[in-house]
Amino acid sequence: MLDAQSYFDRVSGDLSGDATARAAALAAAEAAGLPTRRQEAWHYTDVTRLLGKRTDDTIGAVDFAPLNPLMAVFDNGALREAPVAEGLALHDFEAAPIGDNAMLNYNAALAQGGLNAEISGALAQPLIVTTQGDEPVHLHHKITLAPKAKAVLVDNHMSCGYTNARFDITLGADAELTLIRVQQAGHQIGTSQIELAENARVKSVALVTGGALARHEANVAFAAAGAHAELHSAVLGRGDNHADFTYVIDHQAAETSSNTTAYNVLDAASRGVFQGKVIVRKDAQHVDAQMQTRAMMLSEGAEMDAKPELEIYADDVVCAHGSAIGELDKDALFFLRARGLDEASAIYLLVAGFIEQVLSHIDDEVMADSLRALVAQKIAAQFSIEGAA
Amino acid sequence: MSALLNIDNLHAGIDGTPILNGLSLSIQPGEVHAIMGPNGSGKSTLSYVLSGKDGYEVSEGEMMFAGQSLADMAPEERAIAGLFLAFQYPLEIPGVTNMTFLKTSLNAILRGRGEDEMDAASFLRLAREKSRALGMNDEMLKRQLNVGFSGGEKKRNEILQMAMLEPKLAILDETDSGLDIDALKTVAEGVNALRAPDRGMLVITHYQRLLDFIKPDVVHVMAAGRIVKSGGPELALELEKSGYAEYVGETVNA
Ligand SMILES: Nc1ncnc2c1ncn2[C@@H]1O[C@H](COP(=O)(O)OP(=O)(O)OP(=O)(O)O)[C@@H](O)[C@H]1O
Ligand SMILES: [Mg+2]
Repeated sequence: MLDAQSYFDRVSGDLSGDATARAAALAAAEAAGLPTRRQEAWHYTDVTRLLGKRTDDTIGAVDFAPLNPLMAVFDNGALREAPVAEGLALHDFEAAPIGDNAMLNYNAALAQGGLNAEISGALAQPLIVTTQGDEPVHLHHKITLAPKAKAVLVDNHMSCGYTNARFDITLGADAELTLIRVQQAGHQIGTSQIELAENARVKSVALVTGGALARHEANVAFAAAGAHAELHSAVLGRGDNHADFTYVIDHQAAETSSNTTAYNVLDAASRGVFQGKVIVRKDAQHVDAQMQTRAMMLSEGAEMDAKPELEIYADDVVCAHGSAIGELDKDALFFLRARGLDEASAIYLLVAGFIEQVLSHIDDEVMADSLRALVAQKIAAQFSIEGAA
Repeated sequence: MSALLNIDNLHAGIDGTPILNGLSLSIQPGEVHAIMGPNGSGKSTLSYVLSGKDGYEVSEGEMMFAGQSLADMAPEERAIAGLFLAFQYPLEIPGVTNMTFLKTSLNAILRGRGEDEMDAASFLRLAREKSRALGMNDEMLKRQLNVGFSGGEKKRNEILQMAMLEPKLAILDETDSGLDIDALKTVAEGVNALRAPDRGMLVITHYQRLLDFIKPDVVHVMAAGRIVKSGGPELALELEKSGYAEYVGETVNA
């Protein structure tokens, strides 16, 4: 959104809610401007430059039909299809207050809407939020799980335009959320605020297969004992793709745990960024925080920036991070070829296996299979393999 | 009858370092040959050069397999032609199940030979039958390829691949190393089951014991990248007693 003010002037008449509050949010956002590389959290992602880039990524249809999902479809920002189910209550859109995050302030000023869903009990079907179209879109979703509620939420990004998405996700005590994210193209800056009450569990599996800019930021707050978060991401980068996963994992309470893995396969001039900051607050004893980054570099022009950070103020904790960045394993490639696979099929299997280490965290095999099919399609196109298994 | 494998005066090396120095060896259809030799004498290098691994320079000599020169063939073409190498150190491939791998491999080879691929049900039946014969449970087929497998399980898995692919020539590079006695027998049975008048085997081993179970027709001693002596099964027994001193000395002087 390079000229946010004139865009705001043009669309503000169509936006619901308090126009003065929106104008104030825009003023706050414009005062700070788009993030620049001088800001630590944006050091590896030059938003202004990336917004000017185009890629030729195509959007492959992910077949969620076998899951019989609940659909919330946002077409160029407008809700076209709203889900109806027992245990799912939809509320009116609520404007967000001004904060200190410029992207969220732009979102507060320009949000066209979003899903404001309250989930009680166990949702039998996955809830899929699809963002599609090619126009600039600002959405603010609010997903609240009541205590003991259980749900699978899919953030299905199918837009090839610009998206500024905010997800406020709150889990009550003992609630359980599986969060699947897919981005195939376009420019997206997504910011998720995830709050976990006692024994709440969130498992996020994100897959980025394209896009000139894929920025997935998540701030996870563990408010009470027993809360657990898993954040897994897989990137399949080709061309000029840029995929950035930036997390702040804030263990505010004792006896909480997190497990983060980031797998990047980077070809051509693509770039992967992983920034994971784990904070363990004073008195948050017995925290277990694990973080792993792995990258498979398929080209000399590709780049991976991995920056794990630990900020620990408690003394009885188990925290570890590891990073392994390497090329395609030549010996493994030979092994597969010696078993009859041609080079392209062997690379296909090694890359698919690499990504599979993230997808295998998805418990629902039908869901996992729909993403596997997308990955297969993307890898096959990338390496020109016909009929890859 | 023409040789299944004929290696003549093979010179090969890596990064300018010669490893194979004029190696000659000929295997007729139906024969089992064993190669024994000290560590570093070039046994694994020979297996890699035969199966087409990148990075080795062949500077002299020729390798003929079933009437075809191997020199210009890609590794997968050699596999399709019926060459199989059971690796001394089998690779781990995370995220790929043993089953998916076996199926991809078998179908790639069938396709390469212009035959029909195997359908899922027949494949499953075959994989189960072959793995059970090798004392592997179905669970191992579902696991990621070699990931977390014990040393012996990895070797058994190599033999399973061989049993599925039914090669014309199998090169077993120290498949017996790391196997317990029962596993050794099972693996040997797997190998013997494949013996046939039109097939051949090249068994690389450090231990005479394996040759009690897989009876070789010819035993070769390899030292410093050459075959320095060939004989019958009794040669292995002799080596077990007196070691390689005699041969190592000889090549140093040569
Ligand atoms: N990639 C390489 N670069 C340099 N030297 C190598 C390479 N691979 C093998 N060699 C050398 O070539 C020689 C032969 O190695 P090779 O692995 O073929 O021996 P081997 O007979 O199989 O030994 P072992 O009985 O220990 O398995 C050794 O001296 C080894 O160090
Ligand atoms: Mg060896």
